[in-house]
Amino acid sequence: MVRAGKRRPGCRTTAGERVFYAANTMLMVLLMVAMLYPFWHIVMYSLSDPALSATGGAFLVPRGFTLDSYKFVFSYNSVGNGFKVSLFVTIVGTALSVFCTAALAYSLSKRKLRGRNFLTMLIFFTMIFSGGMVPSFILVRQLKLFNTVWALILPGLMNAWNFFIARNFFASLPESLEESAKIDGATDLAVFFKIALPLSKAMLSVIGLFVAVGYWNDYFSTVLYIVDFDKWSLQATLRQLIGNTLQAMQQAGINYVNLEGVTSQSVIMTTIVVVTVPIIVVYPFLQKYFVKGVMVGSLKG
Amino acid sequence: MDSVVSSRKAGARDRTARPLSSRRESARRVVQDVVRDRFLYLLALPGLLYFLIFCYGPMWGLLISFKEFNMYKGFNASPWVGLGQFVTLFRSTDFGAKFLNTLIISSLKILFGFPAPIILAILINEIRVRWFKKLTQTVLYLPYFVSWVVLSGILTVFLNPSDGVINFAIKAFGGAPVDFLHEPAWFRQVIVASDVYKNVGWGTVVYLASMSGIDPDLYEASWMDGANKWKQIVHITLPSIKGVIVILFILNLGNILNAGFEQIFLLYSPNVYPVADIIDTYVYRKGIMNASYSLGTAAGLFKSLIALVMILLTNAAAKRIGEEGVW
Repeated sequence: MVRAGKRRPGCRTTAGERVFYAANTMLMVLLMVAMLYPFWHIVMYSLSDPALSATGGAFLVPRGFTLDSYKFVFSYNSVGNGFKVSLFVTIVGTALSVFCTAALAYSLSKRKLRGRNFLTMLIFFTMIFSGGMVPSFILVRQLKLFNTVWALILPGLMNAWNFFIARNFFASLPESLEESAKIDGATDLAVFFKIALPLSKAMLSVIGLFVAVGYWNDYFSTVLYIVDFDKWSLQATLRQLIGNTLQAMQQAGINYVNLEGVTSQSVIMTTIVVVTVPIIVVYPFLQKYFVKGVMVGSLKG
Repeated sequence: MDSVVSSRKAGARDRTARPLSSRRESARRVVQDVVRDRFLYLLALPGLLYFLIFCYGPMWGLLISFKEFNMYKGFNASPWVGLGQFVTLFRSTDFGAKFLNTLIISSLKILFGFPAPIILAILINEIRVRWFKKLTQTVLYLPYFVSWVVLSGILTVFLNPSDGVINFAIKAFGGAPVDFLHEPAWFRQVIVASDVYKNVGWGTVVYLASMSGIDPDLYEASWMDGANKWKQIVHITLPSIKGVIVILFILNLGNILNAGFEQIFLLYSPNVYPVADIIDTYVYRKGIMNASYSLGTAAGLFKSLIALVMILLTNAAAKRIGEEGVW
């Protein structure tokens, strides 16, 4: 990538420019602090002794380090269960989504395919028009998916955006690869699995990571489609904790009054950390591919 | 591509020109092609089924907005009521207010959230130290990947009137604490500000990517001619990303009825309904919570239709002023 600000040797910066660069750097540092502080605050609070943190204010370091809140959150069944549900939904959903998107995109990237334009238009149309919440809800009920974990996976399985990213990528692969494999007697299935898929690992990981983050962060599907607590996603569990810690604890059969070393605030903070950590873990991978993902996402072509 | 298209067109012309025998011939060719590509159709099948069931299924379900749908009677046994649901919807005094709230919140989000990433991208683009630029990007993108549930939790904690950080600071300066999330005068500001916080960093990605394609010689030459930073930004950087700006603006306008359902749903409360209740939250409460399925669907359909018209109009407008448009 070419940096606009980069200068060839021999070019000097003027005084005005130096002021600009210094101010710009200062501004960026301030912005970064503003962006990160909320997360820092939550982490520090979760590690603090609740008795000391009750006075409020800013947290630069934990006040009286303790892991009690973490012990509590991990012993709290709903959080563990939500974690399991979200993990299952994310892994199965992402695998299915990436496979279906890649297969459909590969197929429709072939110009010779009859009906290709019509099918592509059909998919494109879903980008600009949709049935909306209530019809989707009724559909899920009629498909008997309501209150099953599949209601968290299937309704949002694919989207036209990812389809176009993948289709444009497959269309850019050299045709000679396919032709030579065909001469050796390979079927379209073999070409897809043995040539096209391995060549598109980077593109598929971009899509996969975004889909995975989407599934992990999905909260509303639980609200809409799930009744039983044992199928609640982690985000929904967290939401319930935030909304009403005391009630949530009692529902899980935990006697709040007898617990020492935790408060509703510290439990909320700790759960926020637990919910967010997986995102932070995959974040470097997301970072690595994101620009590519956005760039190949051009609808044209 | 050209050759494929033209040969197909030639084929189409043949079909109309020549009678039966050659029409049968081309039908045979279609069957032949389909058989040849059978594995490609097989690969497309799961994805196509998804789009048909989960995208086109609900579109067909929109028909219930012309019925008095009852879940237990089912679709066929529920009576048709024509435009009755829409009449109810528009007669109710609420709906106008929800519609207006949606437009106001969305417009505020565009007003502040649209220019912010452009300005930020220009500033990031001017960072000369590579590692610092990378670090800035990494940090600023982070909130985008955090869920609204987590952010709403953080907001609740920070804006808490008794011990939240913000009110702690207000009190420290001698002010009276404000219950931002339950105070109608403040709720929209919180919504817009937290939306900008979450999306501004990520919003720069597209602009930065298109700025990376600018020829550095342009800056070099303008520098030789004595152009300062400001002039470079106005005369080089901005014109080179104009196309991207226009496309994203179209997408934003097309989305003007999506005021951010999940965010508002997570943060609002009956106290602030007068300023916070949007079409989507109304659809959820009416259509799902109260089980007025047909009324909720009618409200949703109204919204989807306006959104469709907005997208088509803005795209046409962009083409008229000489930009490429989204398609």
